[in-house]
Amino acid sequence: MSDKGVQTEKIVEIRNLVKDYGGRGFQTRVLKGIDLTVYSDDFIAIMGPSGSGKTTLLNILSSVDKPTLGDVLLDGQDITRLSNRELSRLRRDKIGFIFQDYNLLDTMSLKDNIALPLTLNGVSGKECSRRVEELAAMFGLREHLEKYPYQLSGGQKQRGAACRALITEPEIIFADEPTGVLDSKSGKDLLDALRRVNDEGKATILMVTHDAYCASYAKDVYILSDGAMKCRITRGGNRKEFYDRIMETQVSMGGDFT
Amino acid sequence: MSVTGLALHNFKKSFSNYLSLILSLAFTVMIIYNFQSVIFTDIFDSLQEPNSGYINIIIEVISVVLGFFLFFFVWYSTNVFLTRRKREIGIYVFMGLSNQRIGKLYALETLFIGFAALLLGLGAGILLSQLFQMLLLSLSDISVELHFQLAPESVLITAGIYAAVYLLFLLKGYLNIVRSSVLNMLSANRRNEYVRQNRLLLGGKAVFGVAVLSAGFYLAVKEGGVEIMGNMLSAVVLVIIGVYLLFGGFIPLLFQGVLRQKSVLYRRERTLWVNNVVYRMRKNYRTYAMTCVLMLCSVTALATSFAMKNRYENIVRFRTTYSFQILSGRSDLMERLTGLIGQDNEIVYRTDVELLSLDASLIESNYHYGAFGLVPWSQLVRLAESAGLEPPVREPGEDEVVILGHIVLMSFITDRSNITHTIGGRTFKEIGDTDVPYLGYLQESANYFVVNDKTYEEFKKLGSTSYIYSFGIKNPENFAASKDKLGTFVNEERGRGDYTGCVTIDPHDSEGDWIRVLYSLCIFVFMVFVVASGSILFMKLYNDAFEERDRYAVLCKIGCSGRKLRRAVSRELGCTYALPFIVMTGAAYFSVHALEKLMSTNLLTVYGVSVLIVLAFFVVFYGVSVRLYYKNAGI
Repeated sequence: MSDKGVQTEKIVEIRNLVKDYGGRGFQTRVLKGIDLTVYSDDFIAIMGPSGSGKTTLLNILSSVDKPTLGDVLLDGQDITRLSNRELSRLRRDKIGFIFQDYNLLDTMSLKDNIALPLTLNGVSGKECSRRVEELAAMFGLREHLEKYPYQLSGGQKQRGAACRALITEPEIIFADEPTGVLDSKSGKDLLDALRRVNDEGKATILMVTHDAYCASYAKDVYILSDGAMKCRITRGGNRKEFYDRIMETQVSMGGDFT
Repeated sequence: MSVTGLALHNFKKSFSNYLSLILSLAFTVMIIYNFQSVIFTDIFDSLQEPNSGYINIIIEVISVVLGFFLFFFVWYSTNVFLTRRKREIGIYVFMGLSNQRIGKLYALETLFIGFAALLLGLGAGILLSQLFQMLLLSLSDISVELHFQLAPESVLITAGIYAAVYLLFLLKGYLNIVRSSVLNMLSANRRNEYVRQNRLLLGGKAVFGVAVLSAGFYLAVKEGGVEIMGNMLSAVVLVIIGVYLLFGGFIPLLFQGVLRQKSVLYRRERTLWVNNVVYRMRKNYRTYAMTCVLMLCSVTALATSFAMKNRYENIVRFRTTYSFQILSGRSDLMERLTGLIGQDNEIVYRTDVELLSLDASLIESNYHYGAFGLVPWSQLVRLAESAGLEPPVREPGEDEVVILGHIVLMSFITDRSNITHTIGGRTFKEIGDTDVPYLGYLQESANYFVVNDKTYEEFKKLGSTSYIYSFGIKNPENFAASKDKLGTFVNEERGRGDYTGCVTIDPHDSEGDWIRVLYSLCIFVFMVFVVASGSILFMKLYNDAFEERDRYAVLCKIGCSGRKLRRAVSRELGCTYALPFIVMTGAAYFSVHALEKLMSTNLLTVYGVSVLIVLAFFVVFYGVSVRLYYKNAGI
């Protein structure tokens, strides 16, 4: 579905992805043959009404769930056929996650939280500290590194989670409703920061959201409805105009996007 | 469904979750029952008084200690249980249940748990009591025919103690819930707590803790006179406070120091477990300190029992040096006595010694009372030579004495320098003492001062000269064969107006049976406390694991492999068991060293063995904890 040039590299390729839930006789098809390709430096938002299959899609892409049919290639590797140990390594080395509820470990300082994926990879303490400082500066968290999650605001926590996702320089960042529990100011700060790192070529981002404002920070928005990709909206001019187009598409499609 | 029905349903449904709590409580009940059953059954009745009396007193003392232990254990376990249950049953608030009814639900569930533990504990206690008694008697080297006995008093007392303590904490939990706010109930377990503690406060606690602990250790090993009892008590209090401060200050400070050193911290999964240790330390340091003190007590109790057994065996050896001892005013009885004993027993060695019996009113001594006698140095040298020994210390000067002491179970005087005694108005400095049984059993029954021959001659006019004839025979078991003849001889001598007395020594004297029982009881107390320490840590970790589920789920999501998580968990849990163990090993060295001095016994091996036993138990507890932790935390 992408029209990227040859200079960009394929990161994720989804072919005919199908996911069924339930047992024999009462099965529900949540995803009905999805195809999607994500290239490096993409910033994609997937939107859709409740029950459209966004979270299921993200869970499969991030290797938390397995599809019923279809292939998911990450960096050319079919993740549906990997063992648990290989999946762990994949998540650790190639994927970064930003969760709706931050998922920072409350027993660690923000600095240790951000550094954690690197330390688990065996990177030296000095290098870990250097990269944490660098990212923290980019996300405006330098003064808060020694604090514990309970001492931080929601926005600071989510920016911290974004730093943690970015620290290993993964192939792709999966963000699940990253602004879902943030106030509008904190949400904007986070999205600005994500867009900046994407613009600087430091991250490829795939974000699931129900919020048109949040989606308007992406370069491409895909609308998922009833388990299938219904349309793609590509950003043209400014963000405001993009936002209006997303809203119009939502209205024209109907359904509950909250 | 009624509240009772709901409580019963919850209890049945979550039985496997409560199992660790039920088993731990049942274990405590079983132990108390077993000790009580020793008092109320007749197993020690065949032992002579005062043995059975002493044993009952010892068991009552141990029961009081176990009662205290039960108190803290129930307090602790119901608290852990309350925190977990509060969050779960707090949901009922949304179903319109009042705090009172939720409290009732909690109380009923806790009651079912308590009742199940009581039944299980008593059942196991009754079934295993005979085994316990058999082990006790076998360790004590006492043969009594055992038969199964069920003493209703033991059941009632055990149930009574347990019920009183348990119901107290059940009521406490009930009141806690009734007075809780909804928010408090739902957020129990999830409070935002400061992970890192104030460094200054920790530093202060650490310095104070090290100082208090050092003072405790110093007092424990300091030599002294009668003040040593006070020193020991102060040492116990200081060491307990010191251990608490060590876990509340020094150790967290150390770990927080590691958190600051990122080059040390950021080494693979170290960041995970060190951060978790710091987080847990704040909540659990009292538990670590308590288990450490408990283990310290158990190792000291074991060392005490070994030392007592060792001393007792030495006392028996001391007393049985000779089989017959005759004290007389006559100096010419050796050959007659030899002939008399020689008729029925083969004499292996014999000695005679001259000494001066003094009236007690002539002696002023802070350390001795009872009958007194003076022995001339030359006589002691002769006795030593005949036994192939070097005389103890040196010949006393004009105003000096050497004490012919005897072996005691424990002496509170470890510093014997500068001790003086006044004999007949003259002050003598004690230059040494010996517990070689030169005068055998009689050396125990009176206080003998060895003076130089000149001083002895000077004192002769103040007392009466006596002679002790002592005989060692080839077969001490056959002592009774000569007993009657010696009795007749003594009566004949007395009939002639001479002062004569005879002591026959039975090698199987049962006077010290209670010490052997004390020794075996101490071994049991040791085992109980070690198991208790392990189970406290085990229970704590068992519950902590549930709290960690969410954290480990996050870690899995961000790509931390199960292997790494398990490694981090095993190190964190290793720390939990290792820290109290290491502190205990250090502290126990001093306590055992202090005991060595009190009981003049080498206890280094006992110390080493008991530390190894604790280690073995902890390794087992650690292994089980790690397995269950993986399961409960879902990794």
